[in-house]
Amino acid sequence: MEQTQNRSGLSFNAIWQRYGTMGILLLLLAILAILRPGSIFSTESIPQILTQSSVNILIALGEFFAILIAGIDLSVGAVTALSGMMTAKLMIAGLPPAAAVILGVLFGSFLGFINGSLVNATGLHPFIITLGTDAIFRGVTLITSNARSVFGFPASFTVGISSSVIGVPIPVIIALITAVVLGFFTVKTKAGRNIYALGGNQQAAWFSGINVKLHTLLVFIISGTCAGIAGVVLLGRVGAAEPGAASGFSTYAIAATIIGGTSFFGGKGKIFGVVMGGLIIGVINYGMNILTVSSSYQQIVMGVLIIISVFLDKLLATKK
Amino acid sequence: MKTLVEMRKVTKRFPGVVALKDISFDIQAGEVHVLLGENGAGKSTLMKILSGAYQPTEGTIVLHGREYSSLTPKDAYENGISIIYQELSVIDELSIQENLFVGKLPTKKTAGFITTVDQKVMHEKALDYCKKVGLKRDPRTMVEELCISEKQQVEIAKALAGNSEVIIMDEPTASLTMEETNHLFNIIHQLKREGKGIVYISHKMKEIKEIGDRVTVLKDGTYVGTRNVADVEVDELVSMMVGRELNLESFSNHELDIAKQPVIFEARNISRRDKRVRNVSFQLHKGEILGFSGLVGSGRTEMMNAIFGAEPRESGEVYINGRKVDITNPYSAIKNGLAMVTENRRETGFINTMDIKKNISLLPYIKTSRAQGLVGLVSEKYDKKTGEEQRNSLRIKCADIDQSILQLSGGNQQKVILGKWLAADSEIIIFDEPTKGIDIGSKSEIYALMRKLADEGKGVLVVSSELPELLAVCDTIMVFREGQIVKTFPRKEATEQSIIRVSTGELSDEVK
Repeated sequence: MEQTQNRSGLSFNAIWQRYGTMGILLLLLAILAILRPGSIFSTESIPQILTQSSVNILIALGEFFAILIAGIDLSVGAVTALSGMMTAKLMIAGLPPAAAVILGVLFGSFLGFINGSLVNATGLHPFIITLGTDAIFRGVTLITSNARSVFGFPASFTVGISSSVIGVPIPVIIALITAVVLGFFTVKTKAGRNIYALGGNQQAAWFSGINVKLHTLLVFIISGTCAGIAGVVLLGRVGAAEPGAASGFSTYAIAATIIGGTSFFGGKGKIFGVVMGGLIIGVINYGMNILTVSSSYQQIVMGVLIIISVFLDKLLATKK
Repeated sequence: MKTLVEMRKVTKRFPGVVALKDISFDIQAGEVHVLLGENGAGKSTLMKILSGAYQPTEGTIVLHGREYSSLTPKDAYENGISIIYQELSVIDELSIQENLFVGKLPTKKTAGFITTVDQKVMHEKALDYCKKVGLKRDPRTMVEELCISEKQQVEIAKALAGNSEVIIMDEPTASLTMEETNHLFNIIHQLKREGKGIVYISHKMKEIKEIGDRVTVLKDGTYVGTRNVADVEVDELVSMMVGRELNLESFSNHELDIAKQPVIFEARNISRRDKRVRNVSFQLHKGEILGFSGLVGSGRTEMMNAIFGAEPRESGEVYINGRKVDITNPYSAIKNGLAMVTENRRETGFINTMDIKKNISLLPYIKTSRAQGLVGLVSEKYDKKTGEEQRNSLRIKCADIDQSILQLSGGNQQKVILGKWLAADSEIIIFDEPTKGIDIGSKSEIYALMRKLADEGKGVLVVSSELPELLAVCDTIMVFREGQIVKTFPRKEATEQSIIRVSTGELSDEVK
């Protein structure tokens, strides 16, 4: 009796969960295609949108895990900046770009490790911890760079990041590979499954023998690593390490994750959705640029979209 | 007698389902009208309509001679209807008196024009209401300091303060001890004398006989019948509820000579630093179901959590099949074959965001090296296979194992939880209040399962506050009081009276 009721609710919800974000993306593309014919589906614009979105998507991929365990990582912007700064400094110190890139990304992982350890050790909500580390990491970035842009590293690095393989820009390839690896991790591995369980119900996960602290640590390491990768890509695209780089990117990452259908209450969400969420933000930014709307309005649109998507989520959840 | 409320031919449809069909229900002044039915029978829906939370699709409600086609919460409140949910809705951060008058605090004018709360009037009035419900606390006490039964008394007092004529109580004794239950019944008797009408939702047959005047049975959203409690037998009520006679047979194994069976599980000198468990030792034999009785807070759950490694223990050893095992957290307990069906399904039992099959396969992945390869791969195929196996062997009622676990009834959720432990080949299974909030039909199924597990040689430990439950399933019953086992009853010697007397301390442990 109750089941028929719930099942009809479920299928409606399931359709939204599965195709909702993709629908929004297609809708946005359609609107742009109507307003500025030829501006969207061209051989220049598509790689451009994808490249511009790739840093945001990379950061959002990590943020996804923090939100999946009903937490949050507010430090991803600062981690991106500091990892990029570290990579630049290492290259200037004479390290070959490949080594510097690896160390830079690992440094991001290390910053994530710090976040996770602090969350575990203090038992404080990740919001508080990462709010603090965000300021700390940003401060360290400013100190190491003397609050100045850092540049003068090998051109091979920037050229490498800016190149394409069979027409696909390197940042897009990096984001895609990261997304595929993490998608596989979430769906196919035991650790991924455990993280979902932890996010759904931490107490029950503990009673089921899941090592809560270990998986929390893992989540923040993944988040830091993704931000580290994003830092390297951003460095290559900009060509200089800016102390204020990626400021505000945490918000974009959270927005992409949530617009992508990840539940703020934990335990629900998909990597594919996060990629869609990142693309939606990319298309909005791009679209407003070609429509010559001031970037100030872009902020407003983003904000409205966040509230609408979470509200829709809540509406459907209560309907169920 | 005066009719306080009359619901006439109420029907409630949700999209695709009829939750209530042509239900008529009335409440007289000075009576306790019990509403009985299995989970999903429609009791809560009916009461939500009466309290204004839901609007009926058809039918009318008559209050104070006026006909309503639907009620708002405000209508219900103004007509003196209040509902006390199982999850109490008192506000912990306020004092008792503020809770009683929340939304309508008595005020006075300070300095002639500033409206302030009149603390004195509030305090005096609150004292009066506290006295009425037997709450022996200063009304200025913060509600967070109160225990559950006291909070419930605050809820009742609040209903009285709001001039309620009809008080709906949704399984009010679910979290109460025996003594607290008796106290609640005294309050209910007092309310009856004052001419209030009580709607009492409960699964507990004994309570119905004790407190009820009339009983109305619902089944699958339809009306089965109304009886005078005095003229009806429990068996008849049960068969009205489930449409079949409940087999009240005992699930304990009478042939088993426990002393001759090998000990498969032993706890020695378990203590907790918080002193809620002090130096407890016990043995479980093969084929035996060992039950733990005692008042809520006597230390039974605390001991099980300490044994299972979910909460720290100060000292104590655990032996499985004579081998000492080292348990420091749930993972090590699980690795050693322990399982824990916790008291609180929603909080510690299942993962609400996962479907049925993933809730079941979670444990095998964690316990065994079921996950393949270096990175530990899970497989959808294995999820399905394990899920189907448990669904079939435990007879979990669901449309599909891909369904969310939240869509299942309490009894079936409990089976899913049991399924996850069985899928992981658990050897010793601890059941903490295994049938809390579960309807009678599923209850006996769960008892039969427990018996089957014990007969198969698995260890079964049961913590329960329901004596009939312990008496039905257990071969041995140990009674807890103040963190210690004060008496051990073989099934043959145990009666409800003797257990109650030991657990309340009325019969001291020296008198054996």
